[in-house]
Amino acid sequence: MDSPFPKSSSAPGEGRILARLLPNGVSGLSAITYQYPLKLIAPSRPSETKSVLVFLLSYGGGLVAGDTVDLKIDVEAGAKLSVVTQGHTKIFKSATPDIVTRQTMRVHVAGGAALCLLPDPVQPFEGSVYEQTQIFKLATDASLCLLDWVTQGRTARGEDWSFVRWVGRNEVWMTGDGPGAGTGRLLVRDAVILDGGLRHPQLKSLRESMRALGVVGTLLLRGPLVKSLGEFFVSEFAALPRLGSRDFRSDEAKARAQAEGDTSSPLEKWRAGRLEMEKESKLLWSAADVRGCVVVKFGAPAVEAGRQWIGSMLAQEGSISQTFGDHALLCVK
Amino acid sequence: MSSRGEMTNPGFAREGKSSENEIEQEIADLERQLATAKAKRNTGSQPSELNHLTTPSPAALQLSPVPTSANHFLLLLSDSALPLGSFAFSSGLESYLAHTKAGFHGPSHPPATSPAPFAAFLPLSVSAYASTTLPFVLAAHRNPSTASLAALDDALDATIICTVGRRSSVAQGRALLSIWERSLSAALPPAAGAALQPFSALLKNPQRWDPPPVSAHLAPLFGAIGRLAGLGPEQTAYVFMLGHVKALVSAAVRAGMFGPYQAQKTLAGAGVQGLVAGMVEREWATPVEKAGQCVPVMDLWFGRHEVLYSRIFNS
Repeated sequence: MDSPFPKSSSAPGEGRILARLLPNGVSGLSAITYQYPLKLIAPSRPSETKSVLVFLLSYGGGLVAGDTVDLKIDVEAGAKLSVVTQGHTKIFKSATPDIVTRQTMRVHVAGGAALCLLPDPVQPFEGSVYEQTQIFKLATDASLCLLDWVTQGRTARGEDWSFVRWVGRNEVWMTGDGPGAGTGRLLVRDAVILDGGLRHPQLKSLRESMRALGVVGTLLLRGPLVKSLGEFFVSEFAALPRLGSRDFRSDEAKARAQAEGDTSSPLEKWRAGRLEMEKESKLLWSAADVRGCVVVKFGAPAVEAGRQWIGSMLAQEGSISQTFGDHALLCVK
Repeated sequence: MSSRGEMTNPGFAREGKSSENEIEQEIADLERQLATAKAKRNTGSQPSELNHLTTPSPAALQLSPVPTSANHFLLLLSDSALPLGSFAFSSGLESYLAHTKAGFHGPSHPPATSPAPFAAFLPLSVSAYASTTLPFVLAAHRNPSTASLAALDDALDATIICTVGRRSSVAQGRALLSIWERSLSAALPPAAGAALQPFSALLKNPQRWDPPPVSAHLAPLFGAIGRLAGLGPEQTAYVFMLGHVKALVSAAVRAGMFGPYQAQKTLAGAGVQGLVAGMVEREWATPVEKAGQCVPVMDLWFGRHEVLYSRIFNS
């Protein structure tokens, strides 16, 4: 069924992935096509069958100024698709600010189907101009796990939010019954506009407005298959220690609590470790349940700290691995 | 001022003391106005401009030329006494202070008892508020019809992806709608005065939609009300943004960052003037679909207001 020589689609940068549930109950690809500079790879002998895996790549490991990628993804009823990348998506410098590098993804997830999109972060180089639009149309009981993150650039070369512009927009639409059944209803629009040109005498550079963060990201969760994961983020957020609270316990009481620490549950132990990691890596995050979606925002001075944090959260909760298989988590390990 | 109900202003119950102070202040103001009016009646002559400002009766407005009526409403909508409960919200300032305090694991910053931390926060907050919200004000001003307003409200609801931000936007939006219905709309010609009734009905009788069709966020309602009251788009946008700055400055005073003179100095300064005008210009042509967060750390501060140990503000 999967041809070893995927057909090319017509226009540069265009691609298409069609995932469906095969008669044996395993998710497979009924179409995967792409055109330079986009490259899609589906491992021919996948090690796991909980979801079908596709690598989203670009030739040369990045997008050159003016490149346009336009990917359409359909996940048919009951199928599960995981999309990952191999390393940061590098965005190269544009000669002039009007040369925009674009990546557009239009996704339709049918009833009972699920998409897990956990890529590496986008790494925009100095002077790059990038716009990314990802539109997800979900049937009422479709599921989506989406991570979208961007870094400050190549720190080794001194880049620190030195690009011209980075715009990332994610829209989650609900199709099917309810208001506006035709076009669907917008549930969440998460848009981040990082524009070095949005200057004003009162406004400092983009770098200063990023307040020493090296990576910022959004995790968006919707649907029955990621419900428990969403609840996990919301409850962990609620369980964060209160900022500005003081420990009024005596040293003896603290020591006793320390000794009793051994009897705490595995979750409590893991949480204590994670909180320590958050503190050391200066990671900030928040989570909110908004219009049936859980939206997690995070930021950290170091990219790897962000990766480690999100990976730890997803691994601890475990449902991504159970639902989509470990290969869905390749980029957050 | 009957609109200061609990429903319209959840922050009010907590702020019993300052509420009393404000009412005292209000009574004093009203008494002063009464005395002025009586004095005018006695002297029989008064400057005409002042007349328009102190007699906001519908009859007087109909007689006066349109720009004066618009100016009148401009002053009303820019009044900090307008009970939107804005003073109960710090728009992330309180959380920012907690996160930049010595001892917190964030990057080190100067201590929070000088104007410096506020001077760093203000432009970021105004820029973020303008890029996320101002396009909705302008779009509602351009088309304040019920269908447009409901669509803008729903779209804005989809973009405010933070519990704290939603709470403050909806609380102030509903407060504004109440004031409009109970107080302001009666002063306008019937067509304009009744224009928001269908929207209100949508809010009060939601169909079984999830999420509900409208939430009554502040930005689109402010734009629509500005338009209905005869304000131009620039005026509406400027007053909206200035209102945000005023709320921030008042929050800074309440948080003990600086005193009232510094607050007025900040508000009057060329910096704020240029900033507000600059943001209105920047977002003038931004379609609502292209609105977005330009200061990502603001979302983190805003969202993490929930994890503060002690809070004096609702946001």
